[in-house]
Parts: sequence; structure tokens; C-alpha cells
Amino acid sequence: MTAEEYDVIIIGGGITGLGTARDCALRGLRTVLIEKFDLTNGATGRNHGLLHSGARYAVTDRESARECIRENMILRRIASNCVEPAGGLFITLPEDDCSYQDTFIRSCRNAGIDARPISPAEALRMEPSLNPALTGAVKVPDASVDPFRLASANALDTVLHGAEILTYRNVISFIMEGGRVLGVRTVDTRSGEKAELRARVTVNAAGIWGDGIARMAGAEISMLPSKGSLLVFGHRVANMVVNRCRKPANADILVPGDVVSVIGTTSTKVPFSECDDIRVTADEVSLLLEEGCRLVPSLAQTRILRAYAGVRPLVTSGDDGSGRGVSRGIVLLDHEKRDGISGFISISGGKLTTYRLMGEYASDLVCEKLGIDAKCLTAKLPLPGSEGGMDSDDYSISLKVARGRHGTRVSKMDFADKSEVLCECEHVTRAEIAYAVKYLDVHNLVDLRRRTRVGMGTCQGSFCTAKVAAALAQELGCPEKAPEFVRQYLAERWKGMAPVCWGESLREAEFMRKKYAE
Amino acid sequence: MKFDVVIIGGGLAGLTAGVELCRAGVGCAAVAEGLSIHNAPMKEYVDAGGVLLSGDSVVRGEWEGNRLLRVFTRNLENTPLEAGNFIISTGKFFSLGLRSDMNGIYEPVFDCDVLYDADRENWVNPDFWGVQPFETFGVRTDAEGRVYVKGVPSVNLYAAGEILAGKVDIVKSALEVCRKLK
Repeated sequence: MTAEEYDVIIIGGGITGLGTARDCALRGLRTVLIEKFDLTNGATGRNHGLLHSGARYAVTDRESARECIRENMILRRIASNCVEPAGGLFITLPEDDCSYQDTFIRSCRNAGIDARPISPAEALRMEPSLNPALTGAVKVPDASVDPFRLASANALDTVLHGAEILTYRNVISFIMEGGRVLGVRTVDTRSGEKAELRARVTVNAAGIWGDGIARMAGAEISMLPSKGSLLVFGHRVANMVVNRCRKPANADILVPGDVVSVIGTTSTKVPFSECDDIRVTADEVSLLLEEGCRLVPSLAQTRILRAYAGVRPLVTSGDDGSGRGVSRGIVLLDHEKRDGISGFISISGGKLTTYRLMGEYASDLVCEKLGIDAKCLTAKLPLPGSEGGMDSDDYSISLKVARGRHGTRVSKMDFADKSEVLCECEHVTRAEIAYAVKYLDVHNLVDLRRRTRVGMGTCQGSFCTAKVAAALAQELGCPEKAPEFVRQYLAERWKGMAPVCWGESLREAEFMRKKYAE
Repeated sequence: MKFDVVIIGGGLAGLTAGVELCRAGVGCAAVAEGLSIHNAPMKEYVDAGGVLLSGDSVVRGEWEGNRLLRVFTRNLENTPLEAGNFIISTGKFFSLGLRSDMNGIYEPVFDCDVLYDADRENWVNPDFWGVQPFETFGVRTDAEGRVYVKGVPSVNLYAAGEILAGKVDIVKSALEVCRKLK
């Protein structure tokens, strides 16, 4: 066992942990982040990819709405390469309470959200795929955000500022002394190697696993695991985010992102024991499809690529049993004040849109505990890739696509020697794979997917898996691992395909099985 | 055009049956989409004297009671293919021998009866590498190998290859049908 000394240890490689790690690293703290699987394995990688304007929460939770609109505007600047300013509509359908729209607009304005009513005809002109039966529409500054890209950019900047990110490291226990957390004991989930990390402050940013982590230190966080299921469609059926103008309910948001559309979500209470292996049921698929078609009827004829589900890390403060009524607000717990455990804090609740603010709150408290006076810089400094200033039409399709995903970082990619396209659906080149291996902490094909979108297109890996696995194994310098990458990757792809396996997807599945399993 | 046997679907099963029947002097026409992996068996079939309608597929049939009289193809709209017996060997989902939507699985040309689990959640195995139930779905046949349509076995429409339900040996299933038709 070896012992390391840091200022701060952050547990959890989701967007909250990564945002906190970047913030701490920018403030000059000796920072290490540990994650038990790969980055974005939890709710960060399993949501809508919606950059909330706050409108959804305006009526029910004004504080969250205000946080959202402020952070929305900040992320458009600092994460321009991850955000698509699509705009959003809240539409009223004949079965909805028509008085809700006025309350909605008033609440939005009170929260500082630019909500502008438009006529149904105008809405249909802006977004022809809408249900033509709509009776009202409100335009709001919703946007879509690529959570993988956002997380990856935060991770990269954290490392570029001298911090460490250790994936596949599970926390076994805390190193404690007289009610003080001194660090963590970890195990490398691949090699079994154990290690000790020591720091003056440890931050629990483990999302839905946060209660389990807190319990190891002798504290607890009362959480309500709330499962949300979503469907990804293989086409971009709308250009704007489409919401239902009513009290938040099931399957009432359609988010376009890149070339796909995502409808969601459901909200069901699930036991903690299911959080590691959450699956979408046939009933949920039917519900999502039915409600989604009320927003955009053409979804009924659009191929569904996958179904997936995440677990919201909601912290309980009175609930109606489903999780919808629980605050989506940010929860920062100082376990010294709360439980008498010093050197330990938890950051939870919140949402993707407010991750940066969560990081700021957590880092402020870390600095206070360390007695360091360092200002938060994350609202001003653009993330790597989002610096701008690279506009040119003098580049190839491969370069353009890679620029879309990695922004200005494409300057680090070697298109001269590695121009071959290995994943045709998402146009991923060997150059991008080599870049991801070098800079983005990739250990297998599932990790690579989260960094590059490899295999996330229409074929879901049917065509590209073998050659991408071979190329990745080669770039990692371990060609013997290629078959294992294929096995692991297709098993993971299948998890999302199985719940929607009919029509074209069933054809794809049969082809995939014939190619790889026979 | 009239033949002894019309083979619907020119993959490995259909062409194996075609070669076997032609060599036994049975006059065959086969309707095949024509994937390049079938080039070799297609050549063998034509060399054996079979008529091949390549790049075509059967879209519907005409029945007299439970007897299939003739089939119509996409390309030959006004020239049906007539025969005493028919073989359907259009495969499963990938080759579009079977189609599916979220409510069920069906055979698109004749609406033959398909054996499958009514509960969609049971179509797949959560383990990709395990046995997949959808791979065992297929048309229902009687002891003679003739398909059922709306609960009744047809008189002269046989099934061969992967369109059959259960675990299928493609070549063996084709040769079994040939034994009935020679």
C-alpha cells in the first residue's frame, strides 16, 4: 500500500464530481478524483442531454429555475462546443389545462426566464413536426447539451491543471481518526491493487451512490432513488426542445441532439439494490412512445435505437412517493456541522444544468476548510475545446465532425496518418480514437464510446465493433485485448437495444448475432 | 408461367432445394433478392436447369381454399408464377421473411401463422451472448412441412430454412421438403 497526500479527494466521476474537480484544480488545489467505473457511468450518462432554461421548474421550484437560467447562460459561453442553442417550446394540447400557460409565463418571468407566447401557427412554422392539434405555445431558451462531451471537457481541464483522475477505483473504506476523515482506501477494480489516498478534505459527489459512501464514514444522506427511462430515436425529428406546458409529468420532453432525438422521462421509485443495473421495462417503453407521439406524432414511424434509464440522486425533503415533488435543488452537506465528522462534505441533488454551480459550492466549502482564499474561475474560463476562434471552412468532413465533438482540440489529432473512418454512422476516425486514448482516459471500448460516440449511431455497433476494437487495442498497445473489448461492448449495446427490439431494430439484432455470436 | 415448384426466397435453403429438385427432373422457378453471398449456389442452381428470377421478390399469392395457385412478384406484376407446389424460404427478420412491430411478429407475404411469445419482453435474452428467443421464432408447419395459414395447414405451401420455428438445420430442412416433392 502506498499513501498519497492531496488537498482534496473527490469521490465520483459524474458531472458533479468532475465539475468540482475542475473547480478545485483551477484554484490550485492538489486534487484527485476517483471513480469506481468509467466517467459518466451514472446519471450523467443517462439523461436527456437537456440544458434547462429553468422553465420546467418555474411554477413549482423558483429557486431551481433561477439557478438553471443563470447556469444555462454561463454554459453557453464556457462550454460552447458542448451546447447546441436549439431553443425550446412549451406546447399546450387540447387535453391540457389551458389556464396553466398564463401561470407558466408569469412564473418564468419572475425567475428571469425569457418566455414568449407565440401562436400555434407560428409554433408550427418554427417546428413543423409538432402535434398540429396544439392550442398554445411558449418559446423559452432551452438548449441541448452533450453530457459526455461536457464531462470529458471538464475531466480534460482538470488533468491539464495538474490534478489526477483515477477511474476503476472503488472506495473500500475511509481512513479515519477520531471523527476526522483523513482519506480513502481504494481498490483498482481491474487489477485488485489496493491503495490509500490521503487528503485534508474528501468530497462525496457519488450521485445515487452518495448515501452508501456517506455511510462508510458514519453519516447518512436520505436519498430517494428515482428511475427515469428514456428512448433514443434514430432521427432528429425536431430542431427545438419540445416540452409539454403542464405540471411536470411522464414523457413530456423531447430533446434533439446531434442527429437523434430523445424522449423522456418516467419517474419511478426504485430500491438502492437496483441502481447498479437499471433496466427499462416494456410498459415504460409503451408509455414513452405513447406520450411522445402526443408531442410529435411522427415518432410513431421513427425507428427507436435504444432505451436507457438513469437514477436521479434526489435528496429527500418530503415526497409524494414518486420523486417528482422532491426538490431538484442543490444539497451541500458539511458533515462536520451535521454529523460531527470533519474533513468530509457531500454535494448532491441538482441537475446536469447546474453542475458547475454545484462544483462552485463544494469547492468554496473545501477552500474554507483548507483556509485557502481562492476564487472560483469556472464561470469565466472556457472549457478545453470551447475557446472558439477556429472558424474556417478549409477542412475535411472528418475534421469537421471531430471539431464538432472536440472543438479546438482537433489540433491534437493526426489526420495525416490516421484518416481512416472506422465508425461510419458517427464518422469516427482512427485519429480521433488515438486522441481519445492519449488524452481522455480510455481503457476499453465502452469508455471510448463515451468519449467519441463510436457505435452510437444507427448500426449500434453491428458494422464497426470488430474493426474499432482492433484499432483501439492497437492504440492502447495491447492487441490481445480486442476480443474482450468486442464481448464487453456488444453486451453493453444490447442492454439498450433489448427493450426496443422490434421492426428494424430486431433485424439489426439478428444481423449482429449472426455476425458476432454464431 | 407454370412450373412444378416455385421457390420463394433464394438463400441457402431455397437454392439447396432448387438444385436437389432440378437434378431430380422437377421444373423449378426460384425468386431471389440475390445477395452476393448466394452467387455460388445461384450458379449451381441455374446450371442444374433452374429458372432464376433474380433481384425480385414475391409480394402476394392467390389461393383456392387452402391451395396456393399462383404468386405475384414485384417485377412481374402481370405474369404470375403458377405451380403445383410452393416452398417459402425467405428466412427470418434480417432477410424480411418475418416482420415485427411492437405488437407482434408476422409473415408478410401470405400472413402464415408465426410461432412466437406473445409477451414482447420474452423475445430477447438480456444476455446478448446467450440464446436469443427471437432466433427460434418462425412459421408453424404440420408434420409434412406445410405451413399453417389462419389456423389451417395449407395443401401445397412448404417451408424450408430459417423461416421455420425452432432450431433449424438449413440444408437438412431443405432436403426434407425435397423428399416430399420429388
